[in-house]
Formats: sequence, structure tokens, C-alpha cells
Amino acid sequence: MRLLVVEDNEELAELLVRGLQSAGYEADVLSRVEDAASVLQTTHYAALILDLGLPDGDGLALLRDLRHRRNPIPVLVLTARGGLNDRVQGLRSGADDYMVKPFALEELIARIEAQLRRPGHLLGSSLRIANLEFDTRNRQASIDDTPQVLSARETEVLELLMRSKGRVVSKKQVEDHIFGHSGEVASNAVEVYVHRLRKQLADKGARVAVHTIRGVGYLIAEDKPT
Amino acid sequence: MIRFQSILSRIVILHVVAVAITSILMSLALSWLLNYSADAIHDKAMQEQAQRLAGHLRVGGNGDLVLELPPDLQGLYSQAYGRYRYAVLDGNRHVLFSSLKDGDALFPADTESGEVEFLQQHHGRATVSGASIRKLVGTRTVWVQAGEDLANRDVLTDDIVASFFKNVGWITLPILMVLLVADIAIFRRALLPLRQASEIAEAIGPSRTDLRLPAETVPREVRPLVLAVNQALDRLEAGFRSQRDFTADAAHELRTPLSILRTRMETLSDQAAGKALVRDVEAMARIITQLLEMAEVDVFEVDPSERADLHRVCASVAELVAPLALAQGKEIALTGADRPVWVHGNAEMLTRAIRNLAENAINHTPPTTTVEFVVEDNGTVSVLDEGPGIAVGEHELIFHRFWRRDRRRAGSTGLGLSIVRRIAELHGATISVENRTPRGARFKLWFVRAA
Repeated sequence: MRLLVVEDNEELAELLVRGLQSAGYEADVLSRVEDAASVLQTTHYAALILDLGLPDGDGLALLRDLRHRRNPIPVLVLTARGGLNDRVQGLRSGADDYMVKPFALEELIARIEAQLRRPGHLLGSSLRIANLEFDTRNRQASIDDTPQVLSARETEVLELLMRSKGRVVSKKQVEDHIFGHSGEVASNAVEVYVHRLRKQLADKGARVAVHTIRGVGYLIAEDKPT
Repeated sequence: MIRFQSILSRIVILHVVAVAITSILMSLALSWLLNYSADAIHDKAMQEQAQRLAGHLRVGGNGDLVLELPPDLQGLYSQAYGRYRYAVLDGNRHVLFSSLKDGDALFPADTESGEVEFLQQHHGRATVSGASIRKLVGTRTVWVQAGEDLANRDVLTDDIVASFFKNVGWITLPILMVLLVADIAIFRRALLPLRQASEIAEAIGPSRTDLRLPAETVPREVRPLVLAVNQALDRLEAGFRSQRDFTADAAHELRTPLSILRTRMETLSDQAAGKALVRDVEAMARIITQLLEMAEVDVFEVDPSERADLHRVCASVAELVAPLALAQGKEIALTGADRPVWVHGNAEMLTRAIRNLAENAINHTPPTTTVEFVVEDNGTVSVLDEGPGIAVGEHELIFHRFWRRDRRRAGSTGLGLSIVRRIAELHGATISVENRTPRGARFKLWFVRAA
């Protein structure tokens, strides 16, 4: 799977490529908007990592141009600008995700993978946190490589949480995911499923914690003894 | 020397002084003119009377001079009337004729005098003023004197002169006062464009550097000042802009090297050292972010029509900070209203304010405790922590730029709370801080509710 990195700082570009390679991705590097635009017309890449401040123009212009030509390539915008308008503009111009420098390489790769796992961009099917693994193809959770039996609802909640590893999933998102947009949802239904899932995972020795952020949602993370 | 605060008061006071002086001088001048004219009329009349008397002198049969007055003149000079008198003197200063009882001359005889002489003389209590003319009758030169008792002077003339101050002098004062009022009105009107320019100037600030004073409407005399002020504003705006650009550029230029640094550290073989270094880089990145935010907030202006859902904003902040808090063993909770709470404001700015409060709370709260967001229907949001609270006397200080209780603490800029306060000010929101029992602090932001 090949990615395109458009970044004018050679050192950073090189580090990015090396990091991506160690995660199993090949990447090409370009430093100019013009070059990127012509290469993207002839070559197919799985995803684009795009820096905004480029020597011959604004990365946002390239992004708008891509979207204008209905190119659906997942784009992760990488920028030193964390400013208000920059962020809004970046997402409006069609970026799928947005990271402000200095970013964690690990998170960048996680976010790229999240993009690649979107429907139509199926990447490897395995999601992993500590000793907990979830195979998205057959929807099978395993702890220490031992397949576990979870109810359908618990499995759905777990899948959603693991897809958003390291990020908060709102209660509304969980509701929508389990019940769809239609139908009545008991106000505490989500709590009940999360509670059951948490108990199941703990009982079976998974070193993960399903955190509740009261009034907001849930987050799954590795359970580190503090 | 008196210092006037306003041009108007200066004009009024100086004008009043000028009016007072002018009215006094004008009255004096007018009355002097009047007296002068009255005297001139009197002198002329006396001279005419003397001429007329002289016209009735002739040389008699015995060679002596004879004065035969017609009855109207006899009446005029009669003792009974008592107002006019005459005397005729010869070259030897002998009184030939006199209307006076004692046959005296009106004025001391002066044979050296010219054709006409105007004289004044006291006779007992009366003051006689009149003319003396030289006249040649036959071969003899005589002096004919005609005078008037000033105590009985022409009533009409006297009345005019006497009542001048009462009737005329006082008119000048009101007229001049009317002029003063008119002047004030004219001046106020002339100053109106300046007042309008002042109102515009009031709106100029760091967030509105684009405004300029109207040079076309102000009086031409003031225009150089207005133009100079506008040029000064141009220079200030350019300064502001370059400062803004500098802050943004600096943040930009610093972040790329930090990214490189961070990525290198993440790939270090010594993982423990790498993690510690990454924390340092994160602290530095945070400082840069806050400097940039401060710079942005300083020049931000809220669109009055903008609305934001406080509940949504708090939920997004909670989502954003939760991973960080959980990693430190701290909990995040959002309570209070669970429906949208609409307030006037910019959602991104509110997010920043609440995020800064949240980060501040997370930094000051020990592990296993909770940072709680409470959103209420009345448009308030509180951020509660279980840290040490705020020391008495620091409730105001903490909002100052770069203020830090513990300067050794890494990653703290002392900017976070000042950004919060600035955003609150931008939104017309009030901010308060109080300590909780048994421990912790509560920051409360009170926004303006939107319909």
C-alpha cells in the first residue's frame, strides 16, 4: 500500500517515510504543490499526507482541486497552523483529518489507518489494544489469542470503541451504532451494554479499560496500573 | 494664567470679558460724542445769538453806540427768563450794555482775542457758558458776549445726554449678549464633525485597526490634525499586522522543527529517555500554541449574530481532554443540562476558553480525582476541580498574563487563564473563581443567552 507525503521539510519528510515504513507502508515524498497535483493525476495512492505551508503554494488549494475533480483519496492534513480559521478551512476544503505539528508519529499512523479502514479502504482487519484483539472481518474478539464469546450488542460496542482507539466515542454515537437512527432507545441501554462489556473484558483478563466520561461518552485504552 | 478645559468655555469666558469691556468703552465713547455734539450745538447757538445781538448795534446821533432789541429778544434776555444773557464791551473794556442786573460783563474782557471765542465763567452759583465775538460797528470795535446759564441749559439736549446711559447704554449689553449666544451656537455647530470623529475614534482599538477619522467633514483648520492622526493609525495598523504575522510565523517556524525533534525522540532506542524528551517537546508545543492563541484572541472580534451551543462545546472539550486526563489517572465528567444551551458567541473561541480552563484544572488536580464541567440552562459553565484551590489574594492575579504561582513548573506559560478572561471579555461574559469545600476550585463563566 503506497502513500504520498507532500512535505517541504526534507528532514521531516524523511522521518515520516521511515516511520510509515516501519508500520508497513511505502511512501513517496514530494515537496511542491505543482508536482503533487500532476503525480496525483496519474498515480493512485491509498492516502495523502499533506502539509499546508508549501514553497510554491497552499496545500489547501491542492486539496480543493482534488475534491473538485472528485478524487476520493483520504487526506490527512498536517500543519503548523493551529489557528482558528485554518482548522475550519482545512476541514471545509475536504480534509478527512487534521493534525497540528508537532504530532506523535504513532498517532499519525493510527489516524491514517483509521482512514484506510473506512468502507472501500479496507486495510488489515485486525485492531489491537494490549492483549485484546478484534478482527473486523469476522467480528471476533480475542484475548491473548483466545477467541472470546460476546453478545452481538457487546461486540458492536467493542468494535466501535476499538475503531476509535484513543479517542472518545460519544454516547450518541454508540446509540446510533447499535440501534440505528430509528427506534426508541431506553435511556440507560448504552450504559447497560458498556457495563456488561467492561465486566466481560475484566473477567477474561483483558488489560484494557473502558472508561466512562460521564455526560460525554466512552473511551477504550490500555489499562496501565497507576 | 487660567487654563481652559474646552474651547467653548474659553470662547464664552473671553467673549463675556470682551463684551463687558466693549459695552463700557462704547458707552463712554458714545456719551463723549454726545456731549461733544451738545457742546458744539450750544457754542454755535451762542455765536449766532452774539451775531444777532451785534446786528442790532448801531451808532446813535451823538456818536454813542445804541442797542435796540426787538421784543422777542428782550424777552429772551429778560431777568425773568434768566436763561440767556448778553454784554457788549468796548475796546477799553468798558461794559456798554449788559442784560445783567449789575451791568457786568459775562466774561472777563479780552481785547487780544480773535473773531470768536468760547468762554465759561462762574457768576455766583451759576455757570455761564457762551461766545464772545469781535464786531466792528461804525469805526469802533466792540466785543459782543452771549451766554447761557448752564443750570438752565436746553432741556431737550440735557435730557438726551443725561438719560443716555439709562436708555442707550444698556441696550449695547443685551445686543452683545445675543451676539455671544449666536457665536456659541455657530461654534458648537462647527465642532459637530469633531464630535462625530471622536465617536469613531472611540471604537478604534487593537481589534479594530481598520477605522479612520473622516477628513472630509471636519473643518479645514482641523483637517491637518485629522490627517496626521489617520497616518499615525496607518503606521500603528502596519505595526500590529507585522506583529500578528510575526507571532503566526514564529509559531509556524517553531512547530516544524519540533515535529522533527519529536519524531526523532519517538524512534530513540532508549524508550524511557525518549518519553521524557517527548514530554518536554509537548510542553514546548503547548507554550507555542498558547502564544499563538493569545495573539489571535487579542485581535479577534465576535460577530454579534453568532451563536454557540454551550453544551456541545463542553462535550467537545471533554472529548478532547479526556484521553490526556485518563492517561494521568484523572476523570472527566459533564453534568448539568443535557440539551443544547444556546449563547451568543463564537464556538471555536468558547472551546478555547473552556479547554484552557479544563487543562488548568487537570494540571492542578491530583490523580483519581474528577474534573467536572457543569453546563446550566442559564448560559453558565463551571469547571470544577479537586486541586489545592486558589490562595486568597490570588483570585485576580491568576488571570494576569504570564502569572504563575510556581515558576519552576514546566509547560506552564501563565497564559491559559488570561486567554480565558480575554475570551470572556470578547463575549461580554463574566468570569468568577471560588474555592470549593473541602478542596478544589470552581471557575464559572457566565455567557449571554441566545434565543
